[in-house]
Amino acid sequence: MRKDKGDMELAIEVPQPRLRAVPSEPVPQPVDDSPADAELLARVGERDREAFEILYGRYVRPVFGLALRRLGDRGHAEDAVQEAFAAIWRSASTYRPERGAAGGWLYTVARNAIVDRLRRMGPTVDAELPELASAEPGPAQRAEDSDVAWRVHRALEDLQPREREMIELAYWSGMSQSEVAQYLHLPLGTVKTRTRSALARLASMLEGEL
Amino acid sequence: MNRDRNLDELIGADTTGAERERLQRAHDMLLEAGPPPELSPKLEEGPTLGMTLQRRRAVKRRAMLLLAATLAVVGVFLAGYAVANRGGSGTPASAKLVLKGTKNAPKAQATLEVWQSQAGNWPMTLTTVGLPPLPEHSYYEVYLVRHGKPWGACGAFRVGDNPQQPVTVTLTAPYTLQKGDSWVVTQPGHGGTDPGKTVLQPAPVTA
Repeated sequence: MRKDKGDMELAIEVPQPRLRAVPSEPVPQPVDDSPADAELLARVGERDREAFEILYGRYVRPVFGLALRRLGDRGHAEDAVQEAFAAIWRSASTYRPERGAAGGWLYTVARNAIVDRLRRMGPTVDAELPELASAEPGPAQRAEDSDVAWRVHRALEDLQPREREMIELAYWSGMSQSEVAQYLHLPLGTVKTRTRSALARLASMLEGEL
Repeated sequence: MNRDRNLDELIGADTTGAERERLQRAHDMLLEAGPPPELSPKLEEGPTLGMTLQRRRAVKRRAMLLLAATLAVVGVFLAGYAVANRGGSGTPASAKLVLKGTKNAPKAQATLEVWQSQAGNWPMTLTTVGLPPLPEHSYYEVYLVRHGKPWGACGAFRVGDNPQQPVTVTLTAPYTLQKGDSWVVTQPGHGGTDPGKTVLQPAPVTA
């Protein structure tokens, strides 16, 4: 239900989320005829720059996120992204679909590039501190967290912009669903329905991983 | 901000059974993953040319020994000759651009290889054929093109009297390359105006 002139104004200060731009009107769901990652990798192996750009668009956030988690510094992480994609460009021709999914191959190449950079950075201040019991996750847990983030962030790239917006608002805007409803000028029920729909799509994409 | 959200709060309590469990798993993964990172404008722009330039691979010990043996057989003079005639900087090539003649030089064609950056320079090797010879004191120029416009000169060259004789020259782009950068070859306009008419431009990319 949209708000009419006569409706009572709510004195809620709604935090403004930082979101990627989405169309203002609902858009029909296009048929997904985009090339699969494996096909793109094969084309990149033949030095197809257009395929490389598409692959970059799909993976730059997961790679950057992975680099940030491992390196903890945006400057180093950006450099690592550069090196990771350079490595993908160089070695795409070695990818063999029969040995595994393209996403897993890309994860390995990116992770190796990031680890190489980490090694080049040398020992950090942390490494010189005496060993103390810590609540921080260990290497195995960090690796698992990185892997989950990689898969989720990659899947988000395949959502429709409106679906992605719903997920971002629901999970990371800091707003309650009532506040989201006010922000979008939509009834609360519609917001919940759209969130469920977006979550269901995401779950389908992650299905093989779950 | 990531409030530890309850799934019911987000989607309502209507969904039950297996579907509910499926959504709960995706929900948990979202909470664990956190938001995707904000990209810097540089990363938003897309892949850079530098990503697609090959680096010299680490040469393994065995390969080094084999190379040394080969060099010994071939001889120092011949090796030096080969190095001197390799073109560019001796660094492995990298991005290769195919250029086609425009209506100003329809029979011309060229390849432009951009080599790995060295101290901020991008050495290039241009091999061209089919360009008509120019009058004395006139020359072709290679321009870096950015946002569709000539952006920076990369060097000049001449061709011989026989247009069918390939000409190879080494040039450099002492600029910070960006995504979408390309190159054209121009012929100075009347009175030597720069950059003049375009005679070679990138060929359309075919799938």
